[in-house]
Amino acid sequence: MHIRSLLYFFGEALKSILRNGWMSLASIAVVAITLLILGSFMVLNRNVNEITRHIKEDVQIVLYVQEEATAAVQMELQQQLIAHPEMQEVRFVSKSEAMERLMDRLGDRAHLVEYYMNEESNPLRNSYELRTRIPEDIPQVAREIERYPGVDYVDYGSGVVEPLFQFTGVVRWVGLLFMGGLAVTAVFLISHTIRLTVYIRRKEIMIMKYVGATEWFIRWPFIFEGLILGFVGALIPIFIIQYSYQTSVLWMQENIYFISMLPPEAVMQELVTLLIPLGMILGVVGSGISVRRFLKV
Amino acid sequence: MIEIHHLDKQYGNDREGTALHDINLVIDRGEFVFIVGPSGAGKSTLMKLFMREILPTRGSIKIFGRDITRLKNRQIPFLRRNIGMVFQDFRLLSDRNVFDNVAFALQVIGTTRREIRKRVPAALEMVGIKDQMWKKPDELSGGEQQRVSVARALVNRPAVLMADEPTGNLDPQTASGIMDLFNEINVRGTTVIVATHAKEQVNRLQKRVIILENGCMVSDQERGVYCNAY
Repeated sequence: MHIRSLLYFFGEALKSILRNGWMSLASIAVVAITLLILGSFMVLNRNVNEITRHIKEDVQIVLYVQEEATAAVQMELQQQLIAHPEMQEVRFVSKSEAMERLMDRLGDRAHLVEYYMNEESNPLRNSYELRTRIPEDIPQVAREIERYPGVDYVDYGSGVVEPLFQFTGVVRWVGLLFMGGLAVTAVFLISHTIRLTVYIRRKEIMIMKYVGATEWFIRWPFIFEGLILGFVGALIPIFIIQYSYQTSVLWMQENIYFISMLPPEAVMQELVTLLIPLGMILGVVGSGISVRRFLKV
Repeated sequence: MIEIHHLDKQYGNDREGTALHDINLVIDRGEFVFIVGPSGAGKSTLMKLFMREILPTRGSIKIFGRDITRLKNRQIPFLRRNIGMVFQDFRLLSDRNVFDNVAFALQVIGTTRREIRKRVPAALEMVGIKDQMWKKPDELSGGEQQRVSVARALVNRPAVLMADEPTGNLDPQTASGIMDLFNEINVRGTTVIVATHAKEQVNRLQKRVIILENGCMVSDQERGVYCNAY
């Protein structure tokens, strides 16, 4: 494309946007709102994912060894656990280590359990802390290893873990569907705006046809218009999200410190690299649809 | 320059939709031709066929030696660059001044700014409204607006100038001025084809007259007249 033509298309698109001021403003606003919802949801989704990732990482199986299990049985149990294909980490916690942890947790009141410190009087059991490669496999693995010799019982937060995994799965799918729906809406709205522009400029288009403008020479300004609408429509939510996210991160740090949100820089960088091209793609796709359907050249 | 053989144009499937029937016609370079006839005779359909806006049902249309019915869509703009078109309703852009309206025809085919600055005033001078260059169309009379439209059709130096009812919206005196302008353009070497039912103008200029009636060519006369019978 010649630089002179490029400047012409760009100029015509800008002129058209300014000429149809209110309509352009309305479509930018609608695109901005759509991308604002989309962007906010993305930020929320990223943070929810991050939090659930942390929670998932903390989920583990604790296997308690039978008190009467012999050293040989215990050794065989350990080998079976290590050999399990889904297992990522097998950590042995002796009853004395468990007691030390308990005393740590009790802090000032540790003296209450001092009596149980020696090997004979310690009521706690030897145990294994186990992590699976895929956190979602925990319930299945727990059921399998429960039957191993020397196992007293297995605890993995049954009844808590399953709904958590179900919830995060639902959040992810609903999020994807929601984003898809919003993207379709944005394309529809841009396409509608360009359709109106085509209608408003029908006389100009007709003259262009009669004086011998090529098909693409007529089409390009509309494509550029969609591109600009999409670009500006993406800039607005970026500024709004940047300001509001920074504010919420600061507020969370001060008030709900145990939930750590992702740093604004990382989120914003991701948002800019995704939202701007997305806005432009939506703009081009939207105008492309209208140009193909309504611009008969 | 223009050759038409056994041209039929039918809108829809029934015979009542026949707009043109078995038209055979040759127009040479440098000719001035009036296509006349009552409303619905097929004049505008013929103009649309020349511009390749529509395709004929049967027959061929050769312009500059090439059958335009076989043109691919992407080739049509290059045909139209050789044909200037003038309409009854002027079709000027009201938000642009006279200069920009004429320059528009050059801009959209990729002419340089330097060339545009040279050619637009020359075209406006030729049609006699160079002094109105910076006015908007609304500030001009009907005749002046039609002159702008003629300048726009001519600025690309086409080989053929076509006009579809160019004086339909003008009073007789202004209409005469426009027809004289077409005559002058023809004298300078451009082929001119005018579809009209302005009898006085046709009879005054004494050019070739092709009469259409109900889609058929009923007469083709050199230095002809448009009689009351039609």
